[in-house]
Amino acid sequence: MSSYNAVKIMVDVQNLNVAFGNKKIIHDVSFSVKKGEIIGMFGISGAGKTTIIRVLTCQIEKKNWTGNVKVSDLTPAKKKNHSKILANIGYVPQLETLNLYFDFKPMVNVDVFASNYGMNKKEAKEIARSLFTILDIPEDTWDKSLKKMSGGEKKRVSMALGLIHRPEILFLDEPTTGVDASKRYDILSYLKKLNRQLNTTMFIITHDLEAALICDKVAILREGKLLEFEVPQKLILSLPSEGLVVRFIIEGLNNDKINIIKKFVSVQKIIRVGNEMLEVLMNNFEESLPKLIQYMMEKGIKINSMSRDVATFRRYFQLRIQEEEEKEKILM
Amino acid sequence: MMKFVGKIREKIINTNFKGNLENLKESLFRLLKMVKKEFRLLKTDKMNLIIALALPPIIIVLFGSMSNIKYDPVPIPCIVVTNDSNTFINPNNYTETKIDDFAILYVDAVNKSKDLDLIAVYNSSEDAYVMETARNDLISSRIQIIIVIPVDFSEMLSSRLPGIIECIPESSDFQHIQDNLNAVQDSINIFIEDNHLNPKFVLQAYEEYSIPSNYNFKFNYNITLMLSFVIFGISTVLTILVVVQEKPIARLLLTPAKRVEILISKYMTYMIILSIQVILLITSCLSQGLYLRGSIFDLFIALFMVGFTGVSIGIFISAVSKTKTEANQLFFAFYIIIVILSGIFIPISAMPEYLQVFAYMLPLSHGDPMIRGIVTKAKSVFGFDFFSLLCISAFFVILSFIAFLKRRYEV
Repeated sequence: MSSYNAVKIMVDVQNLNVAFGNKKIIHDVSFSVKKGEIIGMFGISGAGKTTIIRVLTCQIEKKNWTGNVKVSDLTPAKKKNHSKILANIGYVPQLETLNLYFDFKPMVNVDVFASNYGMNKKEAKEIARSLFTILDIPEDTWDKSLKKMSGGEKKRVSMALGLIHRPEILFLDEPTTGVDASKRYDILSYLKKLNRQLNTTMFIITHDLEAALICDKVAILREGKLLEFEVPQKLILSLPSEGLVVRFIIEGLNNDKINIIKKFVSVQKIIRVGNEMLEVLMNNFEESLPKLIQYMMEKGIKINSMSRDVATFRRYFQLRIQEEEEKEKILM
Repeated sequence: MMKFVGKIREKIINTNFKGNLENLKESLFRLLKMVKKEFRLLKTDKMNLIIALALPPIIIVLFGSMSNIKYDPVPIPCIVVTNDSNTFINPNNYTETKIDDFAILYVDAVNKSKDLDLIAVYNSSEDAYVMETARNDLISSRIQIIIVIPVDFSEMLSSRLPGIIECIPESSDFQHIQDNLNAVQDSINIFIEDNHLNPKFVLQAYEEYSIPSNYNFKFNYNITLMLSFVIFGISTVLTILVVVQEKPIARLLLTPAKRVEILISKYMTYMIILSIQVILLITSCLSQGLYLRGSIFDLFIALFMVGFTGVSIGIFISAVSKTKTEANQLFFAFYIIIVILSGIFIPISAMPEYLQVFAYMLPLSHGDPMIRGIVTKAKSVFGFDFFSLLCISAFFVILSFIAFLKRRYEV
């Protein structure tokens, strides 16, 4: 049974196209998600992340989309399936105001939402207690007004509400937005903790590229097209020299100097980070690096400092989007 | 004094006028930019702006079109019951009228009077139950006055004795009692003049459905209007924000909960609240000395119906509004039009016909007559006004469901 669960497809999207009138939003997107996976949906604004999630959560009418889509073996194309799909999924919106009744206590909110899934008060309270405990929501706040809670606590109550009916799939819209930097990692680790303990499949729509740290797979979208749907480490390894990167701090860095470096034969990708920092990816990293340094010195490029590292998902994302933009420029 | 003047002079000399002028210029510039920003903000909520700009002239035009019409008093519907040729059954004094010539002439005078609209003439010699029939017409508001020609009317006038006309005016609304009596007096004047009769004529009035003297007169005459305004206003105000301000509805729609269920739950909740409001209103009215001829049940149903119309309009406003401000503005627009056309300023029957049709589509035009009928005449609640209110509320309930089902929610 457990081996069956491990391969059970929770979400299957094949050739999804979404259009509103003449405006095509999603172009032929296909992917499938197994039970227990955390999927990160990445892309700049307007990439189509939210639109795909809206199709999966029955928010877009069938007349606006085509393709074969299944959520928990049910297609949102049929209206009669909507109740069953919605009973099987949870949703945590970006804004807590859309998810929580601020005038109610957390436990009252639990009762309000749980009752919509046909759960009785006792059962809902029990699940809420276990979720609140996993999410470290202080017990003395459970029966106090939500208004008195901090932003982070509200966010966690919101996450708990999304899971109150033990859904198989949880959709989270920008879970780390509006949370201060120190708490972002906490939120992500709570999600991972929930995923491990409940084996819930999760979709995280986010601009926060650090979220890839907890994702089993990432989807990179650009202008409605799915560029990648893969394990993040695999994507990094697909970079030249398996993602090894050299980082230079160069005095008086400018476009001329960057163009000179680009001309070095092994150099594959260059990313400018801030005013003086440059990250370079190249083939045959170990062999090419001393040669590159020599080349730069010969060309009069003064290196203030240098370090080597492995590229992060953030770098991969930037390079992938950059690559796509360059392709588009050539086509134009 | 000189010291003070000196100080001021010194201050003026030391004042940097050029610098101050620059500051003033900058301040004015900022002010203008901020005014521009305010206009930009106003433009973002177009509906609100349209209501704010268009409503005041609409109200004035509406009020003007109601008031500018040449006010010809609407003839008062009446029935004449004649006992003139009847045998007066009195065990001590059996009298029988031999003639009824003057009764016919009086009916002619009633017909001639512009103040009266003769609906029927009943002769008690032909039907013993004519007074009962006439009273039923009075209670149903088909007529406003029963004019009774007494026994021996023609014989007394033939003998040059002073005539007597009896009348039973509908007196549930004290504002109309005098109008009713004046109209009957007008018919008597025409009758005297046409027939060169003795000008000594007696008009005996017996008020029907008036408030007994041992009850608070002012309170009881005004409370019926007050009740319908209060219950309608409160129930509408209570519901105008129930949809527009509840943001988590968007999230509730991502549960198996259906839109229809969400709206029905709102209706059910506010119907329960309304029931409590109505009970409290009736209790407080009774404690203040309400003279209630009809049943408390009928009054409860009537007030509930007026309130429910308010609930349905309130929820409709909430379902169509994008913002709280828009809901408030729409409520004001609805309420002011409903109040203006309710008949409290100008009787509905005196309005132009097209406005009458519109007025009868509004709830408060039915609330006061329905409640007054129950309170003063013991009428049943289930009449024209009740069914009109039922239709109005059904209309707004349907509209509110359509608006809510089409309302855009996104999370």
